[in-house]
Amino acid sequence: MENQTRFDLNAAIEKWRQELTAYANLTAEVRRELETHLRDSIAGFQQRGLNNEESFWLARRRVGQPQQLGEEFVKADPAKVWRERVFWICLAVFLLGFLENIISSLTQALMPVRGGSFLDGLMLSEILSVLRILIPLIIIVLLGLGKMVWQLSKLKLFIESRLRLAITAFVLIAISATFDVVVSTMHNAKINYLASAIPIDHKYLVPIWSTLVEPTCYRLIILLLLVWFLPPQNQKLSVQIK
Amino acid sequence: MYKTTMLTKDLVAASSKPLVLSILADGESYGYEIIQKVRELSGGQIEWSDGMLYPVLHRLERDGLIESEWKEAESGRERKYYFISSDGRKAIKTERQHWLAIHNTLCKLWKTKPVSI
Repeated sequence: MENQTRFDLNAAIEKWRQELTAYANLTAEVRRELETHLRDSIAGFQQRGLNNEESFWLARRRVGQPQQLGEEFVKADPAKVWRERVFWICLAVFLLGFLENIISSLTQALMPVRGGSFLDGLMLSEILSVLRILIPLIIIVLLGLGKMVWQLSKLKLFIESRLRLAITAFVLIAISATFDVVVSTMHNAKINYLASAIPIDHKYLVPIWSTLVEPTCYRLIILLLLVWFLPPQNQKLSVQIK
Repeated sequence: MYKTTMLTKDLVAASSKPLVLSILADGESYGYEIIQKVRELSGGQIEWSDGMLYPVLHRLERDGLIESEWKEAESGRERKYYFISSDGRKAIKTERQHWLAIHNTLCKLWKTKPVSI
């Protein structure tokens, strides 16, 4: 009886779910399905009079070894496992690309040509360059260590449906495109300003459309891939099982 | 009381397809319920390792024999329900022929009476 009060069933299930995430072959949908099974199984044992802890351990044992299960799932449907991986890779490429674009735009925009100390601008651009590498690195390390689960669960809001994902990604693309246009306009203004003082080749002018169209097309392609590969379980994530 | 032995892995793998399809032919169901039904119907003689059912379900789904949908039960719990497709119903007929052929042959060899179904 004493044991029963000390054993936290929800925490145990949560821990088990975390353990499963270590196996890349068990996709999010599979993990969710296994969790519903575990909960049903626990409830079954409880009905037969077992306490929470016993029910949990028996149910857990019945579900089986995650490693072995993962291998079976890959055999059952290799394409499905890969589709989900490709989705997360695309999402990472998309988000890192967005971050990269914002930081590099800021770097360029903050490089003063006229007014202000050039040194200040240089320092700032170097700090931003370091951030550009550090931020993704920190995020990846935190994810690898199993931190940031809360942030990831917030991310779920945006990938609940294809439409929501498409709108969110489209807004990010629009922001990126705006940054591209602003930066190249500013760059051209600087060149024009310099050209008024010293003779300068017009090849240094950046055609705005070329800086806008190419990266935007590239981002739109990733957007299409994201929407296409969105794992189905995220599309129906209306209720979290508690 | 006789002691039941677990079926070999190969036999489980081979028999899971007709078992799952036939259970789903009676109506939609989810993993836990399917396992309970198999355990109950076989009188505990067929014991599946629970987790192993899911790769089987996913394979049948990939082959178009069953379909699935996440649904919320009355208790508020979400479960992934599976239901049979028309291809699945056709597959049951073939499976039935094969398994009865094996069954009848073994019955002749062992000189026991085939169970007529």
